[in-house]
Amino acid sequence: MITPSVETHNLTVIYDKKPAIWNIDFTLPVGKIIGVMGPNGSGKSTLLKAIMGIVEPNIGYTKLFDQDLDKVRNRISYVPQRQSVDWDFPASVWDVVAMGRFATKGLFKRLDSNDKTIIQDSLEKVKMGSFAKRQISQLSGGQQQRVFLARALAQQADLYLMDEPFVGVDAATEQAIITLLKSMRDEGKTLLVVHHDLHTAQDYFEHMVLLNSRLVAVGPTDKVFNKETLTETYGGTLTTLSKVANLLKEKDFPMRHK
Amino acid sequence: MKFLQEIASFFTFSEPNVQVVFWGSLILCSISGLVGTFTLLRKRSLIGDVISHSVLPGIALAFIIGQKKDLVFLIIGATITGWISTYLVDYITKHSKIKNDTAIALILSVFFGIGILLLTNIQHTDNASQSGLDQFIFGRASAMNSSDIWLFSVVGVIITALIIVFFRGFSLLSFDENFSESIGFPNEILKLLLSITTVITVAMGVQAVGVVLMSALLITPAAAARFWTNSIIRLAILAVIFSGVSGVLGSAISYTYNGMPTGPWIVVTVTIVALASAFAGSKSGLLRKYLQQKRNNTKILRENTIKLFYGLNTSDSHTKRFSFHRIWEESKMQKATLRKGLKLLGRNGLVDFSNGLYETTDEGTKEARAIVRKHRLWELYIARYMHLQPDHVHDDAEGIEHVITPEIERELEKELDFPKLDPHNSEIPY
Repeated sequence: MITPSVETHNLTVIYDKKPAIWNIDFTLPVGKIIGVMGPNGSGKSTLLKAIMGIVEPNIGYTKLFDQDLDKVRNRISYVPQRQSVDWDFPASVWDVVAMGRFATKGLFKRLDSNDKTIIQDSLEKVKMGSFAKRQISQLSGGQQQRVFLARALAQQADLYLMDEPFVGVDAATEQAIITLLKSMRDEGKTLLVVHHDLHTAQDYFEHMVLLNSRLVAVGPTDKVFNKETLTETYGGTLTTLSKVANLLKEKDFPMRHK
Repeated sequence: MKFLQEIASFFTFSEPNVQVVFWGSLILCSISGLVGTFTLLRKRSLIGDVISHSVLPGIALAFIIGQKKDLVFLIIGATITGWISTYLVDYITKHSKIKNDTAIALILSVFFGIGILLLTNIQHTDNASQSGLDQFIFGRASAMNSSDIWLFSVVGVIITALIIVFFRGFSLLSFDENFSESIGFPNEILKLLLSITTVITVAMGVQAVGVVLMSALLITPAAAARFWTNSIIRLAILAVIFSGVSGVLGSAISYTYNGMPTGPWIVVTVTIVALASAFAGSKSGLLRKYLQQKRNNTKILRENTIKLFYGLNTSDSHTKRFSFHRIWEESKMQKATLRKGLKLLGRNGLVDFSNGLYETTDEGTKEARAIVRKHRLWELYIARYMHLQPDHVHDDAEGIEHVITPEIERELEKELDFPKLDPHNSEIPY
């Protein structure tokens, strides 16, 4: 059997005593563009952060390419939500993309000419080649997103975790991004993309994770993207499940006890 | 003038203690500018305020335990309570319903209150060495002695080296914490290093600047520097220069006028630097904005005036030379404005003036056509894409025509496929 890209086992993250994602258990293939879909507050970003170790799961674990995260960290690239950073920060486009090289260079090693070639290539790939010196505060939303993608490209990873790359970008950028994602897929990369626009989901993703704080469905788009699963994903939360979650919080019960 | 002479006499180092004050405030303020750069970038400015107020109980406790005013001892005490306060703010924010701003206000006032309480108690004891302890509230640079300078230098070198070595880590942490975590940078260690350097910097600085105003010295230099640069390295360097200069000037004033506390003077100086930066700063300073406005207005006047000649040249086919009155009839301008505009065109070589008549030069004719072309292209563009009636497009184009760059003009031409006529069926001149 081919090594899976991402494998989660009973992954559970509790925010403020309430589970944000609950018992997420799935295996994802390599070389696919995989959508993570679900309503607001369904834990899509939390799932990505838990996989990337940015939030520590309270229960469960993740394997990436059959390994622990720390063994394969330089094969994974994480693209945070564009709005999660302050774009008034004193930095140029080049500075931001160069951060992608820190993944291999670490805290101290200087960037060499090879790194610089990679940075420039990454900028060209997102059609921002002439923007290297531009201050990031002067970029439009779509350009900011491209810069984030260029930074990810500069990491030269095998698995990309992208949080809402299509939010607040113009139509041209959206097209450019999806074209780029497809060409990355053709090179054998795996892309896990948080998205919430149902209209485009079917065109963009070959594989899907449907999430509503619990896992609703996972699999190839043609198998899992149908009326029943969508109703289950978007048709409100399970009443009993959310009652239990609220009880956990109110009574301060532990989810698992030793 | 007497004031300036007296300040100048500080810099001749004629009194032995002046050197100590000079180097002491230079070192302290420079470090705080450097450390403060990251406090500002991480949006933790208020934490600086918490730390500086919270070092006071540490100083008092250290004195009560040691029963003497030994600076190293006091700084250690200050560092401990300062650090506890930031830890508590973060802990409360993370683990309770209380929001960050409330936690800051709470911890700041509680720690400062306890500090004042302890200090008052100490002053009521008859320990002779307690005198001068109250100077930590507003700061007194002249209280420094030469052994203090050695301590400041050693710690200063360590902190500076630390920030240079970890500059990449600190920058990335400040910009994008999640990404930093994702590539395996040791975020927790980096945060700890930054908060320890901040606390130590504040603890050392309070003797010269005082607990009440120390946070201003941390934040203001970097905030002032932000008006001048968009590069993080230059930001740090400028912040160091601003704070160093303000520190020395502030201490000079307070030293010269015996009895003046140092802290307020340093803060006044650094605030003047910040105000001057806000006014004249090259990135977003008011002066720059004002000059930009002025340039824009000149451009608008010039283009609006030259545009008149396009209309005149087209309607009056028998002559190319026009009187002021004829031009004024064509325009909707005030006479004074028009006169200014024509003078401007003359200076720019766009019109010739002879025998009381104005005529466009070749360059002027070209520019007049260009501005009319932009105007009409834009009218056509918004009529089509904003679905406006032809009689609604003129006013918009009056404004936009001045801002259209050659690149945008080319895009418009391409988008509209080199149209011949505008929405009012007037010819678009190419």
